[in-house]
Amino acid sequence: MSTDVILTSDIHEQMAVHQPKQRGKAGGFLRRTNVLTGSALGIVLSAVTYAIGSKMVPWGTQNADYSQVGLNALVGATYVAWVIGFMIGIGAFAGPVRWMLGHDITHDDSEYMAGKGQGKWKYWKYTTDHKVVGLQYLVMALTLLGFGGFFAMLIRTELGVTWAEVFDPNFYNSLIGTHGIVMIIAMIIVVAGPLGNFIMPLMIGARDMAFPRLNALSFWLLFAAVPPLLSNLLLGGIRDGWTVYQPLGAQAPVGMIGYQICIITFAFSTGIAGVNLITTIVTMRARGMTWNRVPIFVIGILAAAIMGLVWFPMYQYSQVLAFSDKVVGSSFFIPQEGGSVWLYENLFWLLGHPEVYVIVVPATAALLELMVVFLRKPLFSYKVAVAGFAGIVGLSSVVWVHHMYMTGWAPSAGYPFMLSTELISIPFGFLVLVMLGTLWRGKVWTRLPMMTVYAVLWCKIIGGITGVYLSDVPVDQYMHGSMFVVAHFHFMLMGAGLFGAMGAIAYWFPKMTGKMLHHRLGMVGFWVSFFAFQVTFGSMFVAGLQGQPRRVLQFDNAFEISNWISTIGAYLIGVGMLIFLYAIITSWRSGTIAPANPWGAKTLEWQTQTPVPLENFPVLPVVTSDPYGYGVPDPYDSIELKLTDENLKVGA
Amino acid sequence: MSTVDERPTAEAEEPEGPTNRPEPSYRLREWLSRPYVRHILIIFVILTLAIIPAAWLVIHFMNLSGAPASDIMYEIERTMFVFTLVSAPVMAITATILLYSLLGWGRVHGEEPPMQESPAIRSNPIAIFGWIGATSLLAAFLVIWGLVELARITEMSNGTTRANQQPTTAKPLDINVTGQQWLWTFEYPGQQSITSDVLVVPIDTPIYFNVTSKDVIHNFWVVELGVKIDANPGAITNTGVTPNKLGNFNIRCAELCGLHHAYMETQIKVVTQEQFDAWVREMGGKKFV
Ligand code: HEM
Ligand SMILES: [Cu+2]
Ligand SMILES: [Cu+2]
Repeated sequence: MSTDVILTSDIHEQMAVHQPKQRGKAGGFLRRTNVLTGSALGIVLSAVTYAIGSKMVPWGTQNADYSQVGLNALVGATYVAWVIGFMIGIGAFAGPVRWMLGHDITHDDSEYMAGKGQGKWKYWKYTTDHKVVGLQYLVMALTLLGFGGFFAMLIRTELGVTWAEVFDPNFYNSLIGTHGIVMIIAMIIVVAGPLGNFIMPLMIGARDMAFPRLNALSFWLLFAAVPPLLSNLLLGGIRDGWTVYQPLGAQAPVGMIGYQICIITFAFSTGIAGVNLITTIVTMRARGMTWNRVPIFVIGILAAAIMGLVWFPMYQYSQVLAFSDKVVGSSFFIPQEGGSVWLYENLFWLLGHPEVYVIVVPATAALLELMVVFLRKPLFSYKVAVAGFAGIVGLSSVVWVHHMYMTGWAPSAGYPFMLSTELISIPFGFLVLVMLGTLWRGKVWTRLPMMTVYAVLWCKIIGGITGVYLSDVPVDQYMHGSMFVVAHFHFMLMGAGLFGAMGAIAYWFPKMTGKMLHHRLGMVGFWVSFFAFQVTFGSMFVAGLQGQPRRVLQFDNAFEISNWISTIGAYLIGVGMLIFLYAIITSWRSGTIAPANPWGAKTLEWQTQTPVPLENFPVLPVVTSDPYGYGVPDPYDSIELKLTDENLKVGA
Repeated sequence: MSTVDERPTAEAEEPEGPTNRPEPSYRLREWLSRPYVRHILIIFVILTLAIIPAAWLVIHFMNLSGAPASDIMYEIERTMFVFTLVSAPVMAITATILLYSLLGWGRVHGEEPPMQESPAIRSNPIAIFGWIGATSLLAAFLVIWGLVELARITEMSNGTTRANQQPTTAKPLDINVTGQQWLWTFEYPGQQSITSDVLVVPIDTPIYFNVTSKDVIHNFWVVELGVKIDANPGAITNTGVTPNKLGNFNIRCAELCGLHHAYMETQIKVVTQEQFDAWVREMGGKKFV
């Protein structure tokens, strides 16, 4: 099934369709907006809201609870004003407003919005070109990882200093929660954002995403969501972990509002991005790119987008209801007033679990895509890989209760959910099989992206095996809420997710930035991080086995040694990551110029020039095979054939 | 025509297989005679043997503070032990192929894409079905093991059955556990509702916990006895255990509950029946009957 791509520019050239009249310069209002005007309007609007609101909040009332509700509502309104002000100020609503005024967008307007002729400024504006959005996502993801990593260092410092409290316990709890949610957001976007936007459309031979303006919208919503989240640390913090179980969350100071507004906004961003990715993949593939010729990375992005689109609303809604509990005093999750804590936990984990796959699947798919290039071999059994992704998407929706085995909610639910959770290891195994099968008998070209394949497979096996322990209810009865869990999910999220993302970024770096990533520096940073990671979290497994609960800043002396080791390891991870980051920054600024296809790869994105021109391809490509035509006939096959002939002769 | 149109058109089809394939046993022997297959099998066996001791190591760490102090904990450790044993070959085969790929099948360095291509293996039905079969069997084993164990420990925690499968005759001792920020309170309703902030229980007696919370969610974790259940506000959750080892063990809160969550710890003292009766009298309660 192929799709014809019809471009507005083609239509304009080929047919005399009615052209909307150009009023003023191309771009109109958007000529004047950028991230600065957005921030300015956001700040002004939130300041005004706060000023007016604080006049209306009944500060003086006797009822302590009521004034808390008032304050929460005030802060909530302020954050909402920030998001709306920012989006207006950056020009997100320029298009719809123009339609309402009856002015259509002209071809020149579209080209302006795609960033034509704006130089570097386009990265700071509401730009629709998927390549710009991709780079914006990349920088955002790296920034968030930087924040998250910094918080991780603070957490590990506290845990390493076993003889004293370094931080106030409330601040420490907020650090854990903020580290967690910042990392989760960063990891959700780190592959699907930069590579899903920049690379995927190139890979399927399209000129842009299906909805370029929604693409800009999804990025800038994310951008607007970040300040409320980070500001929580100044407003009392989220002292509840990233899960923010209720009713503890209801006790939290106003910083919690920042978390809730962030999640609600971010969920819109992922929903919009998900729709955009799915539509692009389904409808905009190059002529001849039938479903079994789609590069496997694209399938992975599709799987992640589907999971995000379906399950993110659960998380969003849990936060909408919790927000309502805080700002109008409802009691969805406050049992003392008839609410249910278990309802919150269910809503949360309905996304909370699939989200792990939203993080791991794109990174895995990226590695499948790149390893063939470095092995000069076809992908081993494309179909098994697709089946693996499909199985994960399906099963991921029916396993969330494994996070709730020990809550006392529906103890008998342990049986079916143990079953479904352990079944997921089968499609997961498919992906491992495809990776191992592709490695099988391949000669390795030892470049940095390929090295991450080894790291990720190793981490994935450890994360997978410990995950099987945890999915077993009796074992979870010991492990739940312990450091063992923390070590397990870091092996998945960081070991398989982040290291995979590093490989993917290193692989597509030349196409995205036009520069080669410094090989030596990158390798050093990566391997230091990898080995330090094993030390940090290996030793955290031991603390968990010994019985150290998670989210504690002081603990039994018995856990001291493993925590010291973990902390030393964590600092080394920090060093490795800084080296890697330094490699990225220096290479981006002054690395060697990258040729169009430095790896000799066969997917479409490498067939166009670097830097990629505005509309990607001079002529849209036509696809006649899958992109895995590497390799030579297996020598053993011919030996076998010869022997057979001899056998036949002897037999005759 | 521009360059982008020139898609590489390398054969997508597999090389055609011989029409008269040799006998399976012959092919197996031929496969086993390949040097890389032999190396991989040897490394695989060595690594499996090397990983197996991890099963004891895991139990060693869990037992450092005195576990197992109940049959439930014993079952948990047994499951950990068996799962680790079962995982050893999985981990070993992965590690073997990773190692062999890095060291055995050759490497190319340099910045230019290598000229030499690797064998174009697109599929191998035996490997695929073998792998799927093996992982499915493994998953089936783990699931069945887990279901059976879950049923067992559920019975044990309800105090109706002991590990030797004999229905217990002893009457369970009821204890109401209340979590609040940031301490535990234990009430003994059968002993004139004496309360204590240390859990004192007689050995070999089934204990039945009614767990709740006054404010936020806590988690009642009796570490060395393998007991764990959330203490929810507005609900009572139940679990139980039969302690079978004298001594002092740890109770920790395993759910973040605010400021002093880290310090929400106390002890469980498993004592003899006589010591327990004495303690109850000392606390002002009636003799436990
Ligand atoms: C430098 C690397 C990292 C280190 C040293 C590190 C360390 C830690 C530590 C010590 C905790 C708190 C454990 C506790 O007491 O509960 C934690 C929590 C967490 N980390 Fe990381 N981490 C790192 C990277 C990551 C990455 C890449 C992710 C990706 C998603 C991540 C996600 C989380 C999450 C979700 C939590 C749970 C927070 C909570 O309990 O609410 N971390 N991390
Ligand atoms: Cu889960
Ligand atoms: Cu607690």
